[in-house]
Amino acid sequence: MILNLVTRNLKLYFRDRASVFFSLLGVIIIVGLYVLFLGKMMVDYSTQLVGESARFLMTSWIVAGVVSVTAITTCNGAFGIMVEDTALNRLRDFKVSPIKRWQLVLGYVLAAMVVALLMTLFTLVLGELYIFLDGGEILGFLSLIKVLGIVLLSVFSSSAFIFLIMAFIKTQNAFGTASSIIGTLIGFLMGIYIPIGNLPTGVQTLIKLFPLSHSGVLLRKTMMNEAMDIELLPEEFKTFLGLTYKLNGEVMGDIYHLLYLFISGLVFYVLAIVIISKKRDK
Amino acid sequence: MEKIIDVINLKKNYGEIEAVKSIDFYVEKGSLFAFLGPNGAGKTTTINILSTLLKQDDGEILIDDLKIGQNDELIRQSIGIVFQEGVLDPLLTVKENLLTRGAFYGFSKEKLKERIEKALSVTGIENLTNRRYGTLSGGQKRRADIARALIHAPKILFLDEPTTGLDPQTRKNVWNTILNLQKQDNMTIFLTTHYMEEADKADYVVIIDNGEVVAKGTPSYLKDEFSNDLLKLKPKDDIKLEEYLKKSQINFVKETDLYTIKINESLASLKIVNDVKDNLLSFQVLNGTLDDAFINITGKEIRE
Repeated sequence: MILNLVTRNLKLYFRDRASVFFSLLGVIIIVGLYVLFLGKMMVDYSTQLVGESARFLMTSWIVAGVVSVTAITTCNGAFGIMVEDTALNRLRDFKVSPIKRWQLVLGYVLAAMVVALLMTLFTLVLGELYIFLDGGEILGFLSLIKVLGIVLLSVFSSSAFIFLIMAFIKTQNAFGTASSIIGTLIGFLMGIYIPIGNLPTGVQTLIKLFPLSHSGVLLRKTMMNEAMDIELLPEEFKTFLGLTYKLNGEVMGDIYHLLYLFISGLVFYVLAIVIISKKRDK
Repeated sequence: MEKIIDVINLKKNYGEIEAVKSIDFYVEKGSLFAFLGPNGAGKTTTINILSTLLKQDDGEILIDDLKIGQNDELIRQSIGIVFQEGVLDPLLTVKENLLTRGAFYGFSKEKLKERIEKALSVTGIENLTNRRYGTLSGGQKRRADIARALIHAPKILFLDEPTTGLDPQTRKNVWNTILNLQKQDNMTIFLTTHYMEEADKADYVVIIDNGEVVAKGTPSYLKDEFSNDLLKLKPKDDIKLEEYLKKSQINFVKETDLYTIKINESLASLKIVNDVKDNLLSFQVLNGTLDDAFINITGKEIRE
Protein backbone atom coordinates (compact mmCIF):
# COMPACT_ATOMS: atom_id res chain seq x y z
CA MET A 1 0.00 0.00 0.00
CA ILE A 2 2.66 2.50 1.03
CA LEU A 3 5.04 1.21 -1.63
CA ASN A 4 2.25 1.83 -4.10
CA LEU A 5 1.89 5.45 -2.96
CA VAL A 6 5.66 5.97 -3.03
CA THR A 7 5.79 4.66 -6.61
CA ARG A 8 3.01 7.02 -7.59
CA ASN A 9 4.76 10.02 -6.03
CA LEU A 10 8.09 9.11 -7.65
CA LYS A 11 6.48 8.80 -11.08
CA LEU A 12 4.76 12.15 -10.62
CA TYR A 13 8.03 13.83 -9.60
CA PHE A 14 10.21 12.46 -12.36
CA ARG A 15 7.60 12.91 -15.10
CA ASP A 16 7.31 16.59 -14.35
CA ARG A 17 10.50 17.68 -16.08
CA ALA A 18 10.07 21.33 -15.18
CA SER A 19 9.80 20.59 -11.47
CA VAL A 20 12.89 18.36 -11.60
CA PHE A 21 14.76 21.19 -13.28
CA PHE A 22 13.57 23.79 -10.81
CA SER A 23 14.41 21.63 -7.84
CA LEU A 24 17.98 21.64 -9.17
CA LEU A 25 17.98 25.37 -9.89
CA GLY A 26 19.71 26.28 -6.63
CA VAL A 27 22.48 23.83 -7.52
CA ILE A 28 22.79 25.16 -11.05
CA ILE A 29 23.11 28.72 -9.70
CA ILE A 30 25.89 27.65 -7.34
CA VAL A 31 27.80 25.84 -10.06
CA GLY A 32 27.31 28.82 -12.39
CA LEU A 33 28.60 31.29 -9.80
CA TYR A 34 31.59 29.12 -9.01
CA VAL A 35 32.56 28.49 -12.60
CA LEU A 36 32.11 32.14 -13.58
CA PHE A 37 34.00 33.98 -10.85
CA LEU A 38 33.90 32.60 -7.31
CA GLY A 39 36.07 29.65 -8.28
CA LYS A 40 39.01 31.57 -9.65
CA MET A 41 38.96 33.96 -6.70
CA MET A 42 39.02 31.14 -4.20
CA VAL A 43 41.63 29.06 -6.00
CA ASP A 44 43.90 32.12 -6.26
CA TYR A 45 43.42 32.82 -2.58
CA SER A 46 44.15 29.28 -1.42
CA THR A 47 47.09 28.76 -3.78
CA GLN A 48 49.04 31.13 -1.57
CA LEU A 49 48.45 28.73 1.32
CA VAL A 50 48.61 25.24 -0.14
CA GLY A 51 50.20 25.63 -3.56
CA GLU A 52 49.63 22.88 -6.15
CA SER A 53 46.60 21.10 -4.70
CA ALA A 54 44.57 24.31 -4.31
CA ARG A 55 42.49 23.62 -7.39
CA PHE A 56 41.54 20.07 -6.40
CA LEU A 57 40.89 21.26 -2.86
CA MET A 58 38.54 24.04 -3.90
CA THR A 59 36.70 21.94 -6.46
CA SER A 60 36.06 19.41 -3.71
CA TRP A 61 34.85 22.27 -1.52
CA ILE A 62 32.23 23.35 -4.04
CA VAL A 63 31.17 19.80 -4.97
CA ALA A 64 30.63 19.01 -1.27
CA GLY A 65 28.48 22.13 -0.99
CA VAL A 66 26.49 21.30 -4.09
CA VAL A 67 25.82 17.75 -2.90
CA SER A 68 24.55 18.98 0.48
CA VAL A 69 22.26 21.55 -1.17
CA THR A 70 20.82 19.04 -3.65
CA ALA A 71 19.35 16.98 -0.84
CA ILE A 72 17.38 19.99 0.35
CA THR A 73 16.13 21.47 -2.91
CA THR A 74 15.08 18.15 -4.42
CA CYS A 75 13.21 17.19 -1.24
CA ASN A 76 11.41 20.48 -1.64
CA GLY A 77 10.49 19.58 -5.22
CA ALA A 78 9.22 16.17 -4.19
CA PHE A 79 7.02 17.58 -1.43
CA GLY A 80 5.44 19.73 -4.12
CA ILE A 81 3.29 16.69 -4.91
CA MET A 82 1.83 16.76 -1.41
CA VAL A 83 0.99 20.45 -1.74
CA GLU A 84 -0.51 19.94 -5.19
CA ASP A 85 -2.68 17.08 -3.97
CA THR A 86 -4.06 19.30 -1.23
CA ALA A 87 -4.40 22.46 -3.30
CA LEU A 88 -6.09 20.78 -6.27
CA ASN A 89 -8.37 18.71 -4.05
CA ARG A 90 -6.91 15.45 -5.31
CA LEU A 91 -6.49 14.50 -1.68
CA ARG A 92 -10.24 13.94 -1.44
CA ASP A 93 -9.96 10.81 -3.53
CA PHE A 94 -7.49 9.39 -1.00
CA LYS A 95 -9.65 10.48 1.90
CA VAL A 96 -12.67 8.57 0.64
CA SER A 97 -10.57 5.45 0.12
CA PRO A 98 -9.97 2.90 2.85
CA ILE A 99 -6.40 3.99 3.59
CA LYS A 100 -5.10 5.56 6.76
CA ARG A 101 -3.97 9.13 6.84
CA TRP A 102 -0.53 8.20 8.18
CA GLN A 103 0.02 5.82 5.27
CA LEU A 104 -0.66 8.65 2.87
CA VAL A 105 1.72 11.02 4.66
CA LEU A 106 4.41 8.36 4.93
CA GLY A 107 4.05 7.87 1.18
CA TYR A 108 4.98 11.51 0.57
CA VAL A 109 7.86 11.49 3.05
CA LEU A 110 9.43 8.28 1.77
CA ALA A 111 9.07 9.44 -1.84
CA ALA A 112 10.79 12.72 -0.93
CA MET A 113 13.63 10.78 0.69
CA VAL A 114 14.04 8.52 -2.33
CA VAL A 115 13.98 11.50 -4.69
CA ALA A 116 16.55 13.37 -2.57
CA LEU A 117 18.77 10.31 -2.32
CA LEU A 118 18.69 9.57 -6.05
CA MET A 119 19.24 13.18 -7.05
CA THR A 120 22.02 13.65 -4.52
CA LEU A 121 23.81 10.54 -5.73
CA PHE A 122 23.35 11.76 -9.30
CA THR A 123 24.89 15.12 -8.35
CA LEU A 124 27.70 13.33 -6.53
CA VAL A 125 28.53 11.31 -9.63
CA LEU A 126 28.52 14.44 -11.80
CA GLY A 127 30.61 16.25 -9.20
CA GLU A 128 33.18 13.47 -9.05
CA LEU A 129 33.31 13.43 -12.83
CA TYR A 130 33.96 17.18 -12.80
CA ILE A 131 36.72 16.79 -10.20
CA PHE A 132 38.28 14.03 -12.27
CA LEU A 133 38.14 15.99 -15.52
CA ASP A 134 39.54 19.02 -13.70
CA GLY A 135 42.64 17.05 -12.81
CA GLY A 136 41.61 15.76 -9.39
CA GLU A 137 41.03 12.23 -8.18
CA ILE A 138 37.87 10.22 -7.62
CA LEU A 139 36.87 9.46 -4.01
CA GLY A 140 38.60 6.48 -2.46
CA PHE A 141 36.49 3.55 -1.25
CA LEU A 142 36.48 4.43 2.45
CA SER A 143 35.74 8.09 1.80
CA LEU A 144 32.97 7.05 -0.54
CA ILE A 145 31.34 4.97 2.19
CA LYS A 146 31.69 7.92 4.55
CA VAL A 147 30.18 10.30 2.00
CA LEU A 148 27.26 7.94 1.40
CA GLY A 149 26.61 7.75 5.13
CA ILE A 150 26.60 11.52 5.43
CA VAL A 151 24.34 11.78 2.40
CA LEU A 152 21.84 9.39 4.00
CA LEU A 153 21.79 11.39 7.20
CA SER A 154 21.54 14.65 5.32
CA VAL A 155 18.61 13.31 3.29
CA PHE A 156 16.88 12.37 6.53
CA SER A 157 17.36 15.81 8.06
CA SER A 158 16.61 17.70 4.86
CA SER A 159 13.33 15.87 4.35
CA ALA A 160 12.40 16.61 7.96
CA PHE A 161 13.19 20.31 7.53
CA ILE A 162 11.23 20.64 4.28
CA PHE A 163 8.37 18.52 5.62
CA LEU A 164 8.03 20.93 8.54
CA ILE A 165 7.84 23.91 6.18
CA MET A 166 5.32 22.11 3.96
CA ALA A 167 3.08 21.44 6.95
CA PHE A 168 2.22 25.16 6.84
CA ILE A 169 1.71 25.41 3.10
CA LYS A 170 -1.70 24.95 1.55
CA THR A 171 -1.63 26.59 -1.86
CA GLN A 172 0.53 26.20 -4.92
CA ASN A 173 1.27 29.90 -4.83
CA ALA A 174 2.64 29.63 -1.33
CA PHE A 175 4.64 26.60 -2.41
CA GLY A 176 6.14 28.49 -5.36
CA THR A 177 7.13 31.37 -3.13
CA ALA A 178 8.58 29.08 -0.48
CA SER A 179 10.54 27.18 -3.12
CA SER A 180 12.10 30.31 -4.58
CA ILE A 181 13.04 31.55 -1.13
CA ILE A 182 14.53 28.20 -0.16
CA GLY A 183 16.28 27.90 -3.52
CA THR A 184 18.01 31.26 -3.16
CA LEU A 185 18.60 31.43 0.57
CA ILE A 186 19.93 27.91 0.88
CA GLY A 187 23.20 28.81 -0.82
CA PHE A 188 23.84 31.40 1.88
CA LEU A 189 22.51 29.30 4.76
CA MET A 190 24.80 26.45 3.80
CA GLY A 191 27.76 28.81 3.49
CA ILE A 192 28.35 28.14 -0.20
CA TYR A 193 27.65 31.31 -2.19
CA ILE A 194 30.11 33.08 0.01
CA PRO A 195 32.51 31.28 2.37
CA ILE A 196 31.23 31.58 5.91
CA GLY A 197 34.38 33.50 6.96
CA ASN A 198 33.43 36.42 4.71
CA LEU A 199 30.12 36.95 6.48
CA PRO A 200 29.34 39.07 9.55
CA THR A 201 29.37 37.25 12.91
CA GLY A 202 25.60 37.35 13.27
CA VAL A 203 25.09 35.58 9.96
CA GLN A 204 27.84 33.11 10.84
CA THR A 205 25.94 32.18 14.00
CA LEU A 206 22.75 31.78 12.00
CA ILE A 207 24.50 29.42 9.59
CA LYS A 208 25.96 27.40 12.45
CA LEU A 209 22.50 27.13 14.00
CA PHE A 210 21.02 25.93 10.72
CA PRO A 211 21.19 22.15 11.18
CA LEU A 212 21.57 21.24 7.52
CA SER A 213 24.74 23.30 7.18
CA HIS A 214 26.40 20.68 9.36
CA SER A 215 26.01 18.09 6.62
CA GLY A 216 27.95 20.54 4.43
CA VAL A 217 30.73 20.64 7.03
CA LEU A 218 30.96 16.86 7.20
CA LEU A 219 30.95 16.47 3.42
CA ARG A 220 33.64 19.12 2.99
CA LYS A 221 35.85 17.46 5.56
CA THR A 222 35.60 14.09 3.87
CA MET A 223 35.84 15.23 0.28
CA MET A 224 38.56 17.87 0.72
CA ASN A 225 40.65 15.37 2.61
CA GLU A 226 41.06 13.59 -0.72
CA ALA A 227 42.96 16.58 -2.08
CA MET A 228 45.28 16.91 0.91
CA ASP A 229 45.45 16.13 4.58
CA ILE A 230 43.16 18.84 5.93
CA GLU A 231 44.78 18.61 9.35
CA LEU A 232 47.71 20.41 7.79
CA LEU A 233 45.58 23.40 6.82
CA PRO A 234 45.81 26.46 9.03
CA GLU A 235 43.00 26.65 11.60
CA GLU A 236 41.96 30.09 10.35
CA PHE A 237 41.60 28.84 6.79
CA LYS A 238 39.43 25.93 7.90
CA THR A 239 36.98 28.10 9.81
CA PHE A 240 36.94 30.57 6.93
CA LEU A 241 35.78 27.87 4.50
CA GLY A 242 33.37 26.24 6.94
CA LEU A 243 35.47 23.10 7.22
CA THR A 244 35.14 23.35 10.96
CA TYR A 245 32.76 25.28 13.18
CA LYS A 246 34.06 26.88 16.32
CA LEU A 247 31.79 27.13 19.33
CA ASN A 248 33.09 29.44 22.05
CA GLY A 249 36.56 29.08 20.59
CA GLU A 250 36.41 25.27 20.66
CA VAL A 251 36.41 23.27 17.42
CA MET A 252 33.22 21.22 17.09
CA GLY A 253 33.86 17.47 16.78
CA ASP A 254 32.40 15.27 14.05
CA ILE A 255 30.19 13.39 16.47
CA TYR A 256 28.45 16.66 17.43
CA HIS A 257 27.81 17.53 13.81
CA LEU A 258 26.27 14.09 13.33
CA LEU A 259 24.18 14.29 16.49
CA TYR A 260 22.97 17.81 15.71
CA LEU A 261 21.87 16.70 12.23
CA PHE A 262 20.13 13.60 13.50
CA ILE A 263 18.39 15.15 16.50
CA SER A 264 17.21 18.22 14.58
CA GLY A 265 15.79 15.84 11.97
CA LEU A 266 13.85 13.98 14.63
CA VAL A 267 12.58 17.19 16.19
CA PHE A 268 11.44 18.57 12.81
CA TYR A 269 9.58 15.36 12.05
CA VAL A 270 7.81 15.35 15.41
CA LEU A 271 6.85 19.02 15.01
CA ALA A 272 5.57 18.48 11.47
CA ILE A 273 3.49 15.47 12.51
CA VAL A 274 1.99 17.40 15.42
CA ILE A 275 1.06 20.30 13.12
CA ILE A 276 -0.40 18.05 10.45
CA SER A 277 -2.53 16.07 12.87
CA LYS A 278 -3.81 19.27 14.47
CA LYS A 279 -4.90 20.48 11.06
CA ARG A 280 -6.81 17.29 10.42
CA ASP A 281 -8.94 17.71 13.53
CA LYS A 282 -10.38 20.97 12.24
CA MET B 1 -38.11 -1.61 -0.01
CA GLU B 2 -34.66 -1.41 1.53
CA LYS B 3 -33.00 1.81 2.61
CA ILE B 4 -29.33 1.93 1.63
CA ILE B 5 -28.81 5.52 2.78
CA ASP B 6 -30.74 6.90 5.70
CA VAL B 7 -30.19 10.48 6.78
CA ILE B 8 -31.82 11.61 10.00
CA ASN B 9 -31.73 15.17 11.29
CA LEU B 10 -28.43 16.04 9.60
CA LYS B 11 -26.91 19.39 10.56
CA LYS B 12 -23.71 21.13 9.56
CA ASN B 13 -22.53 24.63 10.36
CA TYR B 14 -19.53 26.55 9.13
CA GLY B 15 -19.04 28.95 11.99
CA GLU B 16 -22.11 31.16 11.97
CA ILE B 17 -23.39 29.88 8.68
CA GLU B 18 -25.82 26.99 8.78
CA ALA B 19 -24.98 25.10 5.61
CA VAL B 20 -27.32 22.23 6.35
CA LYS B 21 -30.20 22.74 8.78
CA SER B 22 -31.63 19.47 9.92
CA ILE B 23 -32.45 17.46 6.83
CA ASP B 24 -34.00 14.00 6.59
CA PHE B 25 -34.24 11.71 3.61
CA TYR B 26 -33.47 8.19 2.57
CA VAL B 27 -32.35 6.44 -0.60
CA GLU B 28 -33.74 3.14 -1.72
CA LYS B 29 -31.38 0.36 -2.64
CA GLY B 30 -30.80 0.08 -6.38
CA SER B 31 -32.48 3.36 -7.17
CA LEU B 32 -31.32 6.37 -9.13
CA PHE B 33 -31.52 9.22 -6.69
CA ALA B 34 -31.20 12.85 -7.74
CA PHE B 35 -30.22 15.52 -5.26
CA LEU B 36 -31.05 18.97 -6.57
CA GLY B 37 -30.68 22.49 -5.35
CA PRO B 38 -29.46 25.91 -6.44
CA ASN B 39 -25.80 26.77 -5.92
CA GLY B 40 -24.99 27.16 -2.25
CA ALA B 41 -28.00 25.14 -1.15
CA GLY B 42 -25.87 22.61 0.73
CA LYS B 43 -25.62 19.86 -1.89
CA THR B 44 -21.88 19.46 -1.85
CA THR B 45 -21.73 19.72 1.93
CA THR B 46 -24.25 16.89 2.19
CA ILE B 47 -22.44 14.74 -0.36
CA ASN B 48 -19.15 15.34 1.45
CA ILE B 49 -20.70 14.22 4.72
CA LEU B 50 -22.28 11.14 3.16
CA SER B 51 -18.95 10.16 1.63
CA THR B 52 -17.07 10.47 4.98
CA LEU B 53 -15.07 13.53 3.85
CA LEU B 54 -16.69 15.88 6.33
CA LYS B 55 -18.00 15.38 9.85
CA GLN B 56 -21.58 16.40 10.56
CA ASP B 57 -22.38 18.54 13.60
CA ASP B 58 -25.51 16.63 14.44
CA GLY B 59 -27.70 13.85 13.12
CA GLU B 60 -27.30 10.25 12.20
CA ILE B 61 -26.46 8.72 8.85
CA LEU B 62 -26.59 5.06 7.97
CA ILE B 63 -24.86 3.88 4.83
CA ASP B 64 -25.77 0.27 4.11
CA ASP B 65 -26.65 -0.11 7.80
CA LEU B 66 -23.26 1.24 8.90
CA LYS B 67 -23.14 4.39 10.98
CA ILE B 68 -21.06 7.25 9.61
CA GLY B 69 -18.42 8.32 12.10
CA GLN B 70 -18.12 4.83 13.55
CA ASN B 71 -17.52 2.56 10.57
CA ASP B 72 -15.95 4.95 8.10
CA GLU B 73 -13.29 2.49 7.00
CA LEU B 74 -15.93 -0.10 6.07
CA ILE B 75 -18.22 2.47 4.51
CA ARG B 76 -15.35 3.60 2.27
CA GLN B 77 -15.16 0.05 0.93
CA SER B 78 -18.74 0.22 -0.26
CA ILE B 79 -18.93 3.69 -1.79
CA GLY B 80 -17.48 5.13 -4.98
CA ILE B 81 -17.33 8.84 -5.68
CA VAL B 82 -17.00 10.80 -8.88
CA PHE B 83 -15.97 14.30 -7.95
CA GLN B 84 -16.97 17.40 -9.85
CA GLU B 85 -13.36 18.09 -10.82
CA GLY B 86 -11.09 15.24 -11.80
CA VAL B 87 -8.96 13.78 -9.02
CA LEU B 88 -6.73 11.47 -11.04
CA ASP B 89 -3.08 12.26 -11.76
CA PRO B 90 -2.60 13.97 -15.14
CA LEU B 91 0.96 12.65 -15.50
CA LEU B 92 -0.01 9.01 -15.02
CA THR B 93 -1.72 6.84 -17.62
CA VAL B 94 -5.31 5.74 -17.05
CA LYS B 95 -4.07 2.28 -16.12
CA GLU B 96 -1.43 3.56 -13.70
CA ASN B 97 -4.06 5.73 -12.07
CA LEU B 98 -6.44 2.82 -11.65
CA LEU B 99 -3.67 0.55 -10.33
CA THR B 100 -2.61 3.13 -7.75
CA ARG B 101 -6.09 3.86 -6.47
CA GLY B 102 -7.24 0.25 -6.80
CA ALA B 103 -4.46 -0.92 -4.50
CA PHE B 104 -6.22 0.82 -1.58
CA TYR B 105 -8.92 -1.82 -1.48
CA GLY B 106 -6.77 -4.83 -0.68
CA PHE B 107 -7.41 -6.96 -3.77
CA SER B 108 -4.97 -9.63 -4.87
CA LYS B 109 -2.97 -8.76 -7.98
CA GLU B 110 -5.11 -10.90 -10.31
CA LYS B 111 -8.34 -9.72 -8.74
CA LEU B 112 -7.28 -6.08 -9.09
CA LYS B 113 -6.40 -6.60 -12.73
CA GLU B 114 -9.77 -8.22 -13.32
CA ARG B 115 -11.58 -5.39 -11.53
CA ILE B 116 -9.75 -2.76 -13.56
CA GLU B 117 -10.60 -4.51 -16.80
CA LYS B 118 -14.23 -4.61 -15.77
CA ALA B 119 -14.24 -0.93 -14.83
CA LEU B 120 -12.62 -0.03 -18.14
CA SER B 121 -15.10 -2.02 -20.19
CA VAL B 122 -18.14 -0.73 -18.31
CA THR B 123 -17.05 2.84 -19.02
CA GLY B 124 -15.93 2.01 -22.56
CA ILE B 125 -12.38 3.30 -22.31
CA GLU B 126 -10.39 0.08 -22.90
CA ASN B 127 -8.64 1.80 -25.78
CA LEU B 128 -7.37 4.64 -23.57
CA THR B 129 -5.59 2.57 -20.90
CA ASN B 130 -2.10 3.69 -21.86
CA ARG B 131 -2.90 7.32 -22.46
CA ARG B 132 -1.95 9.85 -19.82
CA TYR B 133 -4.99 11.14 -17.97
CA GLY B 134 -3.90 14.74 -18.59
CA THR B 135 -4.10 14.28 -22.36
CA LEU B 136 -7.69 13.02 -22.42
CA SER B 137 -10.71 15.05 -23.51
CA GLY B 138 -13.33 16.16 -21.01
CA GLY B 139 -15.65 13.24 -21.70
CA GLN B 140 -12.82 10.69 -21.65
CA LYS B 141 -11.59 12.09 -18.35
CA ARG B 142 -15.05 11.81 -16.86
CA ARG B 143 -15.24 8.17 -17.97
CA ALA B 144 -11.86 7.49 -16.38
CA ASP B 145 -13.14 9.17 -13.19
CA ILE B 146 -16.13 6.86 -13.21
CA ALA B 147 -13.92 3.84 -13.88
CA ARG B 148 -11.83 4.79 -10.86
CA ALA B 149 -14.95 4.99 -8.69
CA LEU B 150 -16.03 1.54 -9.89
CA ILE B 151 -12.80 -0.43 -9.24
CA HIS B 152 -14.01 -1.87 -5.94
CA ALA B 153 -17.56 -2.56 -7.18
CA PRO B 154 -19.17 -0.12 -4.74
CA LYS B 155 -22.76 -0.58 -3.62
CA ILE B 156 -23.39 3.13 -3.89
CA LEU B 157 -21.98 5.46 -6.52
CA PHE B 158 -21.99 9.17 -5.71
CA LEU B 159 -21.71 11.51 -8.67
CA ASP B 160 -21.33 15.24 -8.10
CA GLU B 161 -22.53 16.86 -11.32
CA PRO B 162 -21.09 14.14 -13.53
CA THR B 163 -22.09 15.71 -16.84
CA THR B 164 -21.41 19.39 -16.20
CA GLY B 165 -19.18 20.94 -18.82
CA LEU B 166 -19.52 18.13 -21.36
CA ASP B 167 -20.84 18.56 -24.87
CA PRO B 168 -24.37 17.20 -25.49
CA GLN B 169 -23.24 14.02 -27.25
CA THR B 170 -20.68 13.12 -24.57
CA ARG B 171 -23.18 14.01 -21.90
CA LYS B 172 -25.58 11.50 -23.34
CA ASN B 173 -22.91 8.78 -23.49
CA VAL B 174 -21.80 9.35 -19.93
CA TRP B 175 -25.40 9.42 -18.83
CA ASN B 176 -26.12 6.09 -20.54
CA THR B 177 -23.15 4.54 -18.77
CA ILE B 178 -24.62 5.68 -15.46
CA LEU B 179 -28.07 4.32 -16.32
CA ASN B 180 -26.56 0.96 -17.29
CA LEU B 181 -24.74 0.72 -13.99
CA GLN B 182 -28.00 1.14 -12.17
CA LYS B 183 -30.04 -1.21 -14.35
CA GLN B 184 -27.52 -3.98 -15.02
CA ASP B 185 -25.44 -3.99 -11.86
CA ASN B 186 -28.24 -2.87 -9.58
CA MET B 187 -25.99 -0.17 -8.18
CA THR B 188 -27.50 2.64 -6.16
CA ILE B 189 -26.76 5.94 -7.86
CA PHE B 190 -26.74 9.18 -5.88
CA LEU B 191 -26.23 12.20 -8.07
CA THR B 192 -26.43 15.93 -8.13
CA THR B 193 -26.99 17.56 -11.47
CA HIS B 194 -27.71 20.84 -13.16
CA TYR B 195 -29.67 19.22 -15.93
CA MET B 196 -33.36 18.72 -15.30
CA GLU B 197 -33.76 16.26 -18.14
CA GLU B 198 -31.35 14.05 -16.21
CA ALA B 199 -33.12 14.48 -12.89
CA ASP B 200 -36.29 13.64 -14.74
CA LYS B 201 -34.97 10.10 -15.27
CA ALA B 202 -34.34 9.57 -11.57
CA ASP B 203 -36.50 7.30 -9.45
CA TYR B 204 -36.66 9.82 -6.68
CA VAL B 205 -35.74 13.48 -6.34
CA VAL B 206 -34.94 15.53 -3.28
CA ILE B 207 -34.67 19.28 -3.67
CA ILE B 208 -32.86 21.30 -1.04
CA ASP B 209 -32.57 25.03 -0.68
CA ASN B 210 -30.88 27.09 2.02
CA GLY B 211 -29.88 23.91 3.77
CA GLU B 212 -33.40 22.52 4.03
CA VAL B 213 -35.33 19.90 2.12
CA VAL B 214 -38.00 21.88 0.28
CA ALA B 215 -39.57 19.10 -1.78
CA LYS B 216 -39.17 15.41 -2.44
CA GLY B 217 -40.89 12.81 -4.54
CA THR B 218 -40.79 11.10 -7.88
CA PRO B 219 -40.24 13.41 -10.85
CA SER B 220 -43.84 12.95 -12.00
CA TYR B 221 -45.17 13.78 -8.54
CA LEU B 222 -43.07 16.95 -8.41
CA LYS B 223 -44.22 17.99 -11.85
CA ASP B 224 -47.86 17.36 -11.03
CA GLU B 225 -47.63 19.13 -7.73
CA PHE B 226 -45.39 22.07 -8.50
CA SER B 227 -45.61 22.88 -12.17
CA ASN B 228 -48.40 23.92 -14.52
CA ASP B 229 -49.19 22.71 -17.96
CA LEU B 230 -49.19 25.48 -20.52
CA LEU B 231 -51.59 26.20 -23.33
CA LYS B 232 -50.27 28.35 -26.13
CA LEU B 233 -52.68 29.94 -28.55
CA LYS B 234 -52.04 31.74 -31.82
CA PRO B 235 -55.24 33.56 -32.79
CA LYS B 236 -56.39 35.11 -36.07
CA ASP B 237 -57.81 38.09 -34.23
CA ASP B 238 -55.99 39.20 -31.07
CA ILE B 239 -58.72 41.46 -29.78
CA LYS B 240 -61.42 38.84 -30.05
CA LEU B 241 -59.32 36.32 -28.12
CA GLU B 242 -58.39 38.81 -25.41
CA GLU B 243 -62.07 39.70 -25.00
CA TYR B 244 -62.92 36.03 -24.51
CA LEU B 245 -60.07 35.44 -22.03
CA LYS B 246 -60.97 38.49 -19.97
CA LYS B 247 -64.61 37.53 -19.94
CA SER B 248 -63.80 34.00 -18.78
CA GLN B 249 -61.34 35.44 -16.19
CA ILE B 250 -58.40 33.49 -17.54
CA ASN B 251 -54.93 34.91 -16.85
CA PHE B 252 -52.61 35.03 -19.82
CA VAL B 253 -49.24 36.29 -20.97
CA LYS B 254 -48.86 37.71 -24.45
CA GLU B 255 -45.58 37.34 -26.33
CA THR B 256 -45.83 38.96 -29.79
CA ASP B 257 -48.65 36.95 -31.37
CA LEU B 258 -48.61 34.05 -28.92
CA TYR B 259 -50.83 33.81 -25.83
CA THR B 260 -49.66 31.60 -22.98
CA ILE B 261 -52.12 30.35 -20.38
CA LYS B 262 -51.28 28.36 -17.27
CA ILE B 263 -53.61 25.44 -16.73
CA ASN B 264 -53.73 22.89 -13.95
CA GLU B 265 -53.98 19.87 -16.16
CA SER B 266 -53.79 19.43 -19.88
CA LEU B 267 -57.43 18.32 -20.16
CA ALA B 268 -58.55 21.77 -19.01
CA SER B 269 -57.25 23.14 -22.28
CA LEU B 270 -59.97 21.33 -24.22
CA LYS B 271 -62.73 23.69 -23.15
CA ILE B 272 -60.75 26.82 -23.99
CA VAL B 273 -59.62 25.50 -27.36
CA ASN B 274 -63.17 24.45 -28.12
CA ASP B 275 -64.54 27.90 -27.23
CA VAL B 276 -62.13 29.82 -29.45
CA LYS B 277 -61.45 27.27 -32.19
CA ASP B 278 -62.90 29.46 -34.96
CA ASN B 279 -60.45 32.21 -34.11
CA LEU B 280 -57.34 29.97 -33.94
CA LEU B 281 -54.43 29.66 -36.34
CA SER B 282 -52.71 27.08 -34.13
CA PHE B 283 -52.37 25.88 -30.53
CA GLN B 284 -50.01 23.88 -28.35
CA VAL B 285 -50.35 22.13 -24.98
CA LEU B 286 -47.11 21.76 -23.05
CA ASN B 287 -46.70 19.50 -20.06
CA GLY B 288 -45.12 20.99 -16.98
CA THR B 289 -41.43 20.30 -16.69
CA LEU B 290 -39.21 19.57 -13.73
CA ASP B 291 -37.53 22.87 -14.56
CA ASP B 292 -40.79 24.71 -13.83
CA ALA B 293 -41.32 22.68 -10.68
CA PHE B 294 -37.80 23.55 -9.54
CA ILE B 295 -38.30 27.24 -10.16
CA ASN B 296 -41.67 27.19 -8.43
CA ILE B 297 -40.22 25.39 -5.41
CA THR B 298 -37.01 27.35 -4.93
CA GLY B 299 -37.89 30.58 -6.69
CA LYS B 300 -34.57 30.29 -8.53
CA GLU B 301 -33.23 29.00 -11.77
CA ILE B 302 -30.92 26.08 -11.15
CA ARG B 303 -28.12 27.43 -13.35
CA GLU B 304 -27.40 30.58 -11.46
